[in-house]
Amino acid sequence: MKSFLRMGAAFLLTLTVLQIGCGDKSTPPATGADPGTGPKSGRKKIAYVTNGVDPFWNTAVAGVRAAEKEFGIDCEVLMPPKGLVDQKRMLESLLARGIDGIAISPVDAKNQVDLLNQAAARCPLITHDSDAPLSKRLCFVGMENYKAGRAAGRLVKEAIPAGGKVMLFVGRLEQLNSQQRRQGVIDELLDRPMQQSDSANFDPTGKVLSGAKYTILDTRTDNFDYARAKANAQDAMASNSDLACMVGLFAYNAPHCLEAAKEAGRLGKIKIVSFDEAAPVLQGIIDGHVYGTISQQPYFYGYHSVRLLHSLTKGDKSVLPPNGFLEVPIVEVRQKNAQTFWADLKKMQDMGK
Amino acid sequence: MKKIFGILGLFLAVFVFTALRNPQFVSAYNLENLIRWISLFGIISIGVSFVIITGGIDLSIGSLIGLTGSLMAWLLTHRGWSVPATLVTVLLLSLSVGLAHGLLITRLRLQPFVVTLCGLLLYRGIARFITDDQSQGFGNSHEGLRAIAIGKIPVGSSFSIPVPFFILLLIAIVSAVVLNRTIWGRYLLALGRNETAARYSGINTDRIKIAAYMLCSLLAGVGGILFSLDLNSVQPSGLGEFYELYAIAAAVLGGCSLRGGEGTILGVIIGTAVMRVLYNAINILSIPTHLEFAIIGAVILAGVVTDELAKRYAANRRAVRERLGETPAPSSS
Repeated sequence: MKSFLRMGAAFLLTLTVLQIGCGDKSTPPATGADPGTGPKSGRKKIAYVTNGVDPFWNTAVAGVRAAEKEFGIDCEVLMPPKGLVDQKRMLESLLARGIDGIAISPVDAKNQVDLLNQAAARCPLITHDSDAPLSKRLCFVGMENYKAGRAAGRLVKEAIPAGGKVMLFVGRLEQLNSQQRRQGVIDELLDRPMQQSDSANFDPTGKVLSGAKYTILDTRTDNFDYARAKANAQDAMASNSDLACMVGLFAYNAPHCLEAAKEAGRLGKIKIVSFDEAAPVLQGIIDGHVYGTISQQPYFYGYHSVRLLHSLTKGDKSVLPPNGFLEVPIVEVRQKNAQTFWADLKKMQDMGK
Repeated sequence: MKKIFGILGLFLAVFVFTALRNPQFVSAYNLENLIRWISLFGIISIGVSFVIITGGIDLSIGSLIGLTGSLMAWLLTHRGWSVPATLVTVLLLSLSVGLAHGLLITRLRLQPFVVTLCGLLLYRGIARFITDDQSQGFGNSHEGLRAIAIGKIPVGSSFSIPVPFFILLLIAIVSAVVLNRTIWGRYLLALGRNETAARYSGINTDRIKIAAYMLCSLLAGVGGILFSLDLNSVQPSGLGEFYELYAIAAAVLGGCSLRGGEGTILGVIIGTAVMRVLYNAINILSIPTHLEFAIIGAVILAGVVTDELAKRYAANRRAVRERLGETPAPSSS
């Protein structure tokens, strides 16, 4: 009898926990899935899969939501908290339960080809933010990361025209977009000729690269651990008293460089160049503590992904760009245009609400 | 005390080696940063050492840091709570978590590994749910409060001690006194060595275990508060991830036995220092970051193996002397 009561209590407790988990709070559940507005009967259902959880993706999701309303389609947003493993799990679940189209930012473009091809065989598949050119994806929505890297390199040149030592910071280097971005910065600073994004040669890490005016000390990775990101910036300043510039290749890197420089009393003395549009970076540009940032306009990643998938789910392939690449132009943000850019960004984010 | 000689030697070896290879390692700026990181990780390591001494384990520390850190920033900036109310809430929540762990382990006789593993998943999920998975931060506000994590107190003209060091010092002194100079501490060690014997001796082992888990969660909560204030940017899905392993590793390196009954607070702090100095040294010596786990693993393993071999060598020599009848055989203790 006692064991029966125990089982009953455990069953009731489980039900209660599940009930709490399934409450009607309009926030994403802990698995990283954002149900959005929920499927309406007869409407196509697509998925927008990111490569992680980051404020950067919130702007992209605003674009997704705006396009959802405009094109009358349901889009589920999935943000894998643990990178590759979670992304694979989420993609497999989508395929298992059936989905009409997928836009994905692959974590590891080269080694996810089989999985991406499995998805492409079942529904229209496009990539965004980071491409997987070897897969059977229909097109890529994003920027040319190599070109964006070169643009960031030009910002470094403007920030320290006399030259100097530069350190790069990034979450992880397995992703094609981070490799291309890094190479773009390096090639620009070393005055090398332009390379093709899809066939660029990558310099190995852990090697000091010197040019006529600029020396790239290294690229430090943090695996998305914010404490490591900050410690990396601190250690770079500690081991190189003459460090002239820090470049954050991912959205959260420059804010931690900024924090580290602030605590070291070196705000403005060490130049900071960033990617993306994190609020502390934009405020830093306005205050003169960050030289500039390269915005990818992620809102349009979300918007165009949904727009393309909407047509593709109806069998209309005419929307596909001829070379399979829909380029979202980058915006170079400096002190002179930072306030206007920020106001426009807020407007776009509000449109997605 | 003898047990921490090995880890102290490893710490000094890494410290001296790095300082010789790059003198910037001992610059005031780098030492200040190093002290701050050792302090933050040291606080959570001391917490887990109490649980380890009881023969238990707490795998939920990292997620609890994520939850308390996120909650701290969320309550202050999104909900507009006052600083005292937020701090009290977050610390009470941490204590409650520890109490729940303790009760589940002692009353329901569940395994600590299972209870805290579920905690690891549960607290991370709650943190992400409450904050809507959005990064939390203080922006340019709460500068005064942030001083308890990023503030420094000058000593001399060119060197300052980070404020978290004083928090660590206070926690370490109180913990060391409690562990070594109070009945509760003796009971804790006795319980870890042989729980059944301790219970038959009239010790309320359940109560001591519950207190150890509460202390561990409380210090994880303090860690969460300090990490969020230090970073000024809390990612609910990421803050504190794997920190339980750093804390457990530091405690074990510092002389805590996973079988329970052994451990010193000083050892735990030195264990933490070894981990943080290794991370720092890798950056200072410009070793590629993707080698860091391999290097940290190899150095610690080499240090532990050397320590063990040295102990065995000393024990063998003692045994040989005893056999030769040079000295009367000492007692096994």
